[in-house]
Amino acid sequence: MDASTISAGALVRLQELVPSSPNFKQGASFRVIGKIQEYDLETAVAIIVDGDASSKVDTQYLNLNLRPGSLYQFIGELQIEPNNEGILKARVGRNVDGLDINLYHQTMQLVKQFQAEQADIRTF
Amino acid sequence: MDLYNTHVKLLAFDFLSLTPTRADPSCFQRKGLRLSRAESIGVVVTRELKPGKFLRFTIDDGTGCIPCVLWLNHLTSSYFSRRSPSSVRSIARTALQFASEIQLGVVARVRGRITGYRGTVQITVSDAALETDPNAQVLHWLDCVRLARRCYDKFSRIGA
Repeated sequence: MDASTISAGALVRLQELVPSSPNFKQGASFRVIGKIQEYDLETAVAIIVDGDASSKVDTQYLNLNLRPGSLYQFIGELQIEPNNEGILKARVGRNVDGLDINLYHQTMQLVKQFQAEQADIRTF
Repeated sequence: MDLYNTHVKLLAFDFLSLTPTRADPSCFQRKGLRLSRAESIGVVVTRELKPGKFLRFTIDDGTGCIPCVLWLNHLTSSYFSRRSPSSVRSIARTALQFASEIQLGVVARVRGRITGYRGTVQITVSDAALETDPNAQVLHWLDCVRLARRCYDKFSRIGA
């Protein structure tokens, strides 16, 4: 993918990737984190969970050894299937076992708040 | 006191909002604060290698994508002709090592000069390191927000 056209993977939790969420848009880029619950070797589709939310991730383009029970981060584009279910087509992924997940979620909110503040200052 | 020669830690969206100054092409501004160097951490999401010339790559920190260029032409460029051959060879070896480590999906910390290319800002990389600690990105985000609020914004007001 050309560097000039690539979109940053927006920071979201899996709870924000449901059909009722404003983030649920075809082709939108996201960065997600979750624990591998299931992995289908034939289809390369993984199901990741974060609390009570889960999401499907297509890992066919990744060269990763996915271990159920381990924590992974993926960046990719959301594809909405005909049954209105979302699947993230991962471009990159990595194991993040050892990540302080509470600190990650708190800092994610802080970064979003900071971005909104800076946008307000610049448009003032 | 200013931050002109300091590697400032900036989130990608903040870095991408830097503007060049008219008087000095090596100088960029953040809300009036003069800057020339930056440091960032992100996931490598694009990679284009031109052997013997450069490695162009992009790092995504969740707030934006920063274009980076790592020059690999040290042994053929006239820019280095006045420097001692042994130090040029050493710089070239180090750059090649960085280039081999920068692969899609890794998390990299990059430092370098802020430069302009085709109307956007980029980092011309002087050093790069892989981050294996899964918390490195989070700690960098915290550093960026704290420094912007407590340091860079204050310097901007003083300098304005």
